[in-house]
Amino acid sequence: MFVTLLCDANGQLRRPVAACLDLARGFREWYLRPSTREQRGLKLLREWLSQEQLAQYDAHKYFEVVGCHSGKRYRIHHGNGANVIELDDAALPRTGWCFVPNDHLVAGDVMLAQKIALETDERGALAAANNFTPR
Amino acid sequence: MATQIIMDLNGDTRHNFDAKDVKALLEAERRFKALTDAGFTAATRTASGESVVTRTFDPTVEETLFFPRLVGG
Repeated sequence: MFVTLLCDANGQLRRPVAACLDLARGFREWYLRPSTREQRGLKLLREWLSQEQLAQYDAHKYFEVVGCHSGKRYRIHHGNGANVIELDDAALPRTGWCFVPNDHLVAGDVMLAQKIALETDERGALAAANNFTPR
Repeated sequence: MATQIIMDLNGDTRHNFDAKDVKALLEAERRFKALTDAGFTAATRTASGESVVTRTFDPTVEETLFFPRLVGG
């Protein structure tokens, strides 16, 4: 008798619980979606990346640039701070560099500004930057 | 139609103008000067896609991107 009641209750509960889980999943997707301004920043970034950089970014969420003065390679990870890593000859992380536009910008804009700065005024960008030990 | 793209809190703001329209061209030049005076960097792209920083207004450029001064984070 008790087991039968339990089975009935379980059956009746399954549907509302599943509906709640669907709602929670939908809310999570909505909450984590890129905002319009973030999407706009990423669109602008994609327009300015070279084909090679774009392929790297799509595959790894980072792209590499070559510093205009030293010829060193830098890896710019998706993000808006502490996301630029100088690579050594073996493409291993050597030094982290942190420099960002002085307005609060979305990640796409920040990465694009970092790319242009390293490709056109590497010394100026690094002079403004703080460095850190990459993980 | 030429475009000036300014990075800002909304992602970016775009100003399109007709480079053959003298009034629009003057307005674009005024905007260029105001932004660069405020510390923005102006960048353009070559035909091969290479980024170039420009310090003077060039009415023949199709697209100019402005981003704020960079600081240590």
